[in-house]
Amino acid sequence: MSRSAFLDLARPSRRHWLGYLLLAPAVLLIGLIIVYPVFVSVDLSFQNVNIARLDQPRRPFTTLNYERLFASEDFWNACWVTFKLVTIVSFFCFLLGLSTALLVNNRFKGQALARLLVALPWAVPEVIAVVIFAWMFDSSFGLMNWVFIKLGLVDTTINWFSSPPASFAVVCVVMVWKGYPFVSIMMLAGLQSIPEDFYNAARVDGASAWQRLINITIPSLMPVLGVTLVLVMLWVFRDFSIIYVLTGGGPLKATQSLSIMTYEQAFGFFKMGYASAIGVITLIVCVIASRLMISRAPDNI
Amino acid sequence: MPKTRLFLSAAALALTLASGFTSSAALAQGKVLKFVSWQKDERGVGDWWGSVIKEFEATHPGVKIEWTKVERGAYADTMTTLFAGGKPPDIVHLASFEFQKFADNGWLDPLDGYIKDAKLDMKGWAGQDTCVWNKHTVCTMMLYFGNIFAYNEELLKKEGLEVPKTYAEFLAAARKLTKDLNGDGIVDQFGTGHETKGGGGQYLSEMMNYTLDAGGRWTNDAGKVTIDTPQMVEGLSRWKTVVKDSLTPRDLAAGEVRQMFADGKIALKSDGPWLWPIIQKGKAKDQIKLAMVPFNPPMGGSSNVLGIAADAPKENKKLVWDFIAIATSDKFQSSYATLGASPPPSPRADTSAASKDTPHFDLLVKATRGAAEAKVDRIPKGLELAFNEFAKMIMEESQRMIIQDLDPKIVAATMQKKAEALQKQ
Repeated sequence: MSRSAFLDLARPSRRHWLGYLLLAPAVLLIGLIIVYPVFVSVDLSFQNVNIARLDQPRRPFTTLNYERLFASEDFWNACWVTFKLVTIVSFFCFLLGLSTALLVNNRFKGQALARLLVALPWAVPEVIAVVIFAWMFDSSFGLMNWVFIKLGLVDTTINWFSSPPASFAVVCVVMVWKGYPFVSIMMLAGLQSIPEDFYNAARVDGASAWQRLINITIPSLMPVLGVTLVLVMLWVFRDFSIIYVLTGGGPLKATQSLSIMTYEQAFGFFKMGYASAIGVITLIVCVIASRLMISRAPDNI
Repeated sequence: MPKTRLFLSAAALALTLASGFTSSAALAQGKVLKFVSWQKDERGVGDWWGSVIKEFEATHPGVKIEWTKVERGAYADTMTTLFAGGKPPDIVHLASFEFQKFADNGWLDPLDGYIKDAKLDMKGWAGQDTCVWNKHTVCTMMLYFGNIFAYNEELLKKEGLEVPKTYAEFLAAARKLTKDLNGDGIVDQFGTGHETKGGGGQYLSEMMNYTLDAGGRWTNDAGKVTIDTPQMVEGLSRWKTVVKDSLTPRDLAAGEVRQMFADGKIALKSDGPWLWPIIQKGKAKDQIKLAMVPFNPPMGGSSNVLGIAADAPKENKKLVWDFIAIATSDKFQSSYATLGASPPPSPRADTSAASKDTPHFDLLVKATRGAAEAKVDRIPKGLELAFNEFAKMIMEESQRMIIQDLDPKIVAATMQKKAEALQKQ
């Protein structure tokens, strides 16, 4: 076989090589940006290392970081906080997202403006939104305390960021505000793909609006719902900036999620081996949760 | 044709060699030292750094300093990443509570040899002891400060109050000055102001106004944890009183509290020399006066240090030392007082011009001396390496004390236990 024939990518037996060649840069880039750091992180998690340097010799293998992690109250607290956040924020994001999608799916005057307003929180940069919310919930001079007192809901100001339940609630509110537009946009896309004939047939059969929602809209949206649920849960799971800017994980670790704990251990306390162990566990939990949700969803997801 | 080709080849070779020599010469001429700092653009001290750079570049032709600003909030992360990645800045500027981690990793070059060769007299240099790590001097202290007491004279006069001189007077004044001015159920004016949200280091500094006055210390001179002493319990009780009774606004960062004070919404404030430039930009600048803090000793401590990266090329290290020598020279220590409006660490600095320019300069010197004589520092001896973790623990236990209304004695015992555990790590 001549050299030119070997490199002839137009030959039917070599055609798939072209595909691999075209994919190679992307695969290499992903490998460099995602896969390599994951391997480094896993490797670090099995070393007793404070500040990691790639040019330093590898420290002896140890499972100390994982032993410390599983014996740490802070770790289990972070898991519980993350679980609560994922559950509450995902639920309310779906409730609000679906409601607003159903609303703006109807034809009415100002529909375009309503759609814009629904999507607006998604477009606002996260940190800017969080800073605005931090001022709104400021314990001494914030808008929320003023509104609550004027409405007679409370007698005295609430220390939003000094009370564990209050600060957790504030984090949830901001996350839901920031996260529901994504659900709404996805749901709206899903709603518009449902054939109008389904509803017309249901109306002929005398189905009420509630029955149409339960028996047509929700089942038809299930494929979109499943994918959106996984994406929203993963977003809440890994979100860092909202909690970091609002509460920094406090008070009393009431809002310390796994991502905040990882950052604190790595860059606050310079315990990079330990922080890598938390990162590895977070990754495993994320993969398992996503896999479970995908496998339980309908086949057409 | 062959002649032409030969000529062209020779010309090309000559051009290549010439360009090679030119770029080598340019490289030798165009050396750049990297300097990262959070103080760039800061009024006063930033101008002083600028003047040091200007002097260095004037005395070292062909050498430039690339000065980059990194925000304080991201500083430790950025510097760690730069050092860990093997690309540290040549001139290392760090906060005095964070350099220990870098020194412990061997990332800072010992300065003993340079100091000896330059015959630099560091005797009486404020806070310089802090720079000794594992028996080597790894940095030079660039600022040691003492807290001053700023008060809103108009607000005090309205209530018929004198400037407080003790903790008891301070507490009584703070209570009287904390008010809901328009009766809407929201306090509009606070007696004093402290950061109660944010990093552990700042929280610790705020608390120490009270714990030091009560005679408490986190550790003793031997580095043994001394939090469960009656003095510390008293200090914690005072902190609990001030925060729990809402004599300070809650959940604000240090910068926000300083701005509120400058705008006349807080009556009394103990803070470092950096408060003065903020007051000058505030709405209540004409009402605010300065005095000695009503606490003894005043809160204070080391602030920031300058060092040489151990990974820097040898020829760069010599140049960095020249930069440090300029910054620590009598001339520039004197100009530090004028431009930075802060007492410089050098005992040889001429501060007469600063005393004329800054009316409260003598007060700053007095506060700094007061803190230095009492050996006050934010970083407790024996807990330097675990300072961030220690500060976070103290902040959380103090928050727990306030939120759950715990007995300070029990809280002090918990802190003692946890601090001892951190020392054993």
